[in-house]
Amino acid sequence: MIRRRHRLPWVSYLLVVSGAVLMVVPFLDMVMTSFKGPGEAGRLPYRFLPRGFGFGFGNYRAALDQLDLPVLFRNSVTATALITGSVLLTSSLAGYALAKLRFRGRDLIFRLVLTTMMFPPFLFFIPHFLILVHWPLAGGNDLLGRGGAGLTVSIVALTMPFLVNGFGIFLMRQFMISVPDEILEAARLDGAGEFTLWWRVVLPQTKPVLVTLALLTFVDAWNEYIWALLISTADPGVMTLPVGIQLLQDHVDPTRTMPVVMAALVLSVLPVLVLFLLLQKHYIRGVVLSGLK
Amino acid sequence: MVNTLAPERAEHPASRARPAGPGLAARARRRQTVVAYLFLAPTLLFFAVFLVLPLGFALLLSMSRWAGFDLGDIRPVGLDNFTGLFARGSTFLTPILANTVLFALGTVAVALAGSVLVATCIDRLRFQGLWRTLYFLPMVTTVVAVGNVWKYMYEPGGLVDGVLNALGLASVAFLQDPHTALPAVVVVQAWASAGSAILVLTAGLKSIPRSYYEAAELDGAGAVTVFRKITLPLLRPSLLFVCITQFLTGLQSFALITVMTKGGPGDATAVAALEMYRQAFSYGDWGTASAAAFVLFVVVLVITLVQLWVLRRKGEDA
Amino acid sequence: MTRPRHGLDRRHFALALPSALLAAGCAAPRRGTGRPGDPIVLTLLSHYSSGALRKALQDPVDEWNATHDRVKIRTEAVEFTDLLTTFMVRQAAGRGADIIQPYCLWTGQLVRAGVLRPAPPEHTAEIRRGYTAAAVGAASVGGRVYGYPTEVQTYALYHNRRLLRAAGIDQPPRTWPELTEAALRTTRRDRYGNMLVQGFGLSSYDDSTTVGQTLALLNAAGGTFVSADGRGTAIDSPAGRAVFELEHRLVAEGASAPGVNVYQAFPAGQVAMVISAGWWTGSLRPLMGAAYREVGVAPVPVPRAGDRPATLSTGFLLGVNAASRFPREAWEFLRWLNAERTGAKGVTRMSALQVSVGSLTGRADDMRALLGTGGDPNLRPFLDALAYAVPEPNVPGAQQAKTLLRTNIEALWTGQRSVEEALRSTRRQVDQEVSRLW
Repeated sequence: MIRRRHRLPWVSYLLVVSGAVLMVVPFLDMVMTSFKGPGEAGRLPYRFLPRGFGFGFGNYRAALDQLDLPVLFRNSVTATALITGSVLLTSSLAGYALAKLRFRGRDLIFRLVLTTMMFPPFLFFIPHFLILVHWPLAGGNDLLGRGGAGLTVSIVALTMPFLVNGFGIFLMRQFMISVPDEILEAARLDGAGEFTLWWRVVLPQTKPVLVTLALLTFVDAWNEYIWALLISTADPGVMTLPVGIQLLQDHVDPTRTMPVVMAALVLSVLPVLVLFLLLQKHYIRGVVLSGLK
Repeated sequence: MVNTLAPERAEHPASRARPAGPGLAARARRRQTVVAYLFLAPTLLFFAVFLVLPLGFALLLSMSRWAGFDLGDIRPVGLDNFTGLFARGSTFLTPILANTVLFALGTVAVALAGSVLVATCIDRLRFQGLWRTLYFLPMVTTVVAVGNVWKYMYEPGGLVDGVLNALGLASVAFLQDPHTALPAVVVVQAWASAGSAILVLTAGLKSIPRSYYEAAELDGAGAVTVFRKITLPLLRPSLLFVCITQFLTGLQSFALITVMTKGGPGDATAVAALEMYRQAFSYGDWGTASAAAFVLFVVVLVITLVQLWVLRRKGEDA
Repeated sequence: MTRPRHGLDRRHFALALPSALLAAGCAAPRRGTGRPGDPIVLTLLSHYSSGALRKALQDPVDEWNATHDRVKIRTEAVEFTDLLTTFMVRQAAGRGADIIQPYCLWTGQLVRAGVLRPAPPEHTAEIRRGYTAAAVGAASVGGRVYGYPTEVQTYALYHNRRLLRAAGIDQPPRTWPELTEAALRTTRRDRYGNMLVQGFGLSSYDDSTTVGQTLALLNAAGGTFVSADGRGTAIDSPAGRAVFELEHRLVAEGASAPGVNVYQAFPAGQVAMVISAGWWTGSLRPLMGAAYREVGVAPVPVPRAGDRPATLSTGFLLGVNAASRFPREAWEFLRWLNAERTGAKGVTRMSALQVSVGSLTGRADDMRALLGTGGDPNLRPFLDALAYAVPEPNVPGAQQAKTLLRTNIEALWTGQRSVEEALRSTRRQVDQEVSRLW
């Protein structure tokens, strides 16, 4: 029995560590490839390590030069910031109303919010695009939404379908419920308005959830690909980082330019990875709360 | 997909407050109503424009012929788009819908097997946080990075063939061979989603009382017996949850496939959501695309309802 | 997706593409300022997105912009794989380019969707007069011409003379029995069974190596892919069966290995024969160096000696967007680019442009003038083929039909379907897909 207790952890270690290696090796391969010289990637037999790290500088510079990373970064950052800001604001406002205010229709609205989470995103793909194209009085459209490009020509188009998030509202509501009513009542008796209550009392109390929600939203928005691909096809000026890198990758000769693509990938993945490693507790809690990503 | 819980009744603060008079209470409640709808206005407006309106639009389009350019040209055709999808010779049912289900099933199987194994093992180790973080890395990485890194690893001269060759095995053109392309993509999707499954399963494992294991140990049960007789049955709710949510995600996902194979070779990895994208945005057949989206939606909806039903029943059991 | 490739050189410049796209997206107002006196800006969207092709198109555009004050042209480009989607999405978003250069295969779809505008009568007359019948046909739908044919590709048999000689064959095959025999005789394997030389390169690498080759052989056997009325496929015919049987036999007897990328294997001397389009000469020459001397090009073999020669032609056309606010100006530019004769040889700017990148146009006289003296003798068979080539079908749904044909060919090659099953399922799938569109 004692022997079994000692043996088992070794089997476990072996399994977990080899699994972890499997998880990390693709990332390492990406980094290693980004340091390989011309003709080195894809050559047979395969070698994990680059012959030297000297080519790395050239690859990263090439990635910076050829991708116009500043513009891609600017678009990605702008869209991500808009989405994250909007989700935080709308979720905490709606969450407060649903948790702490009493009004007719509250349960109905809450049920509606829950229902929104059941609709898969692909169902809205086509209609969202059409709604943006035919947005009245924007981008040269008339009142009936005809004649122009609507909102598809602006960076707002990247963010529109993601500005409000049913899960975010749900999450904020669940946490705001636990804020003691006595505090709110006391403040109300002191003559504080609901806006002040929300801003001064409830928000500070729910800061950890806000951080979690911000992280979840940030990571999703930063990594979003399909919608950004569609909008960038309509208007290359609003191309985001993932779309730009994919475009680059689609048309390269693997042996020749793969290191540059990998360098670009490293640059695009790094900000999120660092953020995740710094704040992983908040993030992982968010994933547990949302059930499953 | 997100686990939807039944709405809980919130405390009603105003009902417990002791107002100075009936008029004042009514006024306070009226004011709260106004404020509440003010707070909810952006949300409700958004759902009206980006949820209700699109649903109607999608339904209209799925029963119309439309090239996608002039709103005046939308021509109603009844259920033609749906019958077209299931007509003899249509590729929607096989291989596209079949691929979609295989992709989802394969992902669930691989991810579940891996994550059960890893989660039970992690539970006995030190540095649990570190391990979970490592397994979680793919979840925060853009699908463009995940897809391209793996695509490159599958290429001739890439890591996977390198390992195979080192073991004395022949190279396989994973993404070029119609027989291996779908399994190859399934592995990547499972790899990317294992982290969150491990997380949920770990939470499930933590809720199994220690005393059960101790009792089993006293009985002299082997590790495999303990796993089969105690861990698995008690982990069933978490397993079910992971199964269903991963399956739903698998049914809908096409970003990874877009990045890695674009549905090829041939239509070996063509899935429904990708077909919808192509019909609309490449072939200009918005009606068929919307119909395909609805068919997939019905599949997803049925599974979601099953999930809700199963989880609710589980709640009643407890 | 299809990819009539334009040489590997394009890939080397592909890196600059996203930045070029971004620049195009951010640049100057799209359609001029609208103020009287300011120039009209017309956009031109093509797949000449990088390298030599990009420059070849930009040169005449710069010339036009320098010599014309009222109408300016601005080029936009995406890679070929993204071209159709870009047309459709930008059109749906109300910002389609004024002038577009689609692949002829898509003409039917674009006409049906109301993207392409029919050529005005004087341009129609000019086009009918100046181009070969195949080129005009590829740019027409239902008897109406929709644009100036630009790049034209015909298919012929590339062969490695050294490998043929080594197998004791002096002449490239002219008939299918000769082709089969040459393929079997040139195939070589090492003692472990690894393929050293593939007799006939059937490659599932892209559309032009699967569908392109198959359709060239089908046309050579007197068959067509799409029925005469355009409402279904004619693949399930004796000619179609003969092609599928030929390919099946070549794979089954080990003379072809569909998993191999012929674009790499042929220049490396590992493929004896392969059917491909004319643009390939332009990239094989620099790639192979001295070894290019061993590359020969012959017409696509016919089933029996004495059969009429035939092959496939594909191509592009320049047309005007139905949504353009300045169609007259756009057509005027197209006439200047495609029909006006300049220079010592008296050829059109488009002909000079295409030949400079190793392609052809459907103007046979221009081609003879440009290729007559010197030049690569291997381009000759492609030029000759202009006279008898069958244009790729361009009915609505042609792209879908081509994609379906490709999957079925690949299923045939990998042994998932027999010849009969592949023919039947191609017919069923294509007929269903195309019938939906009528």
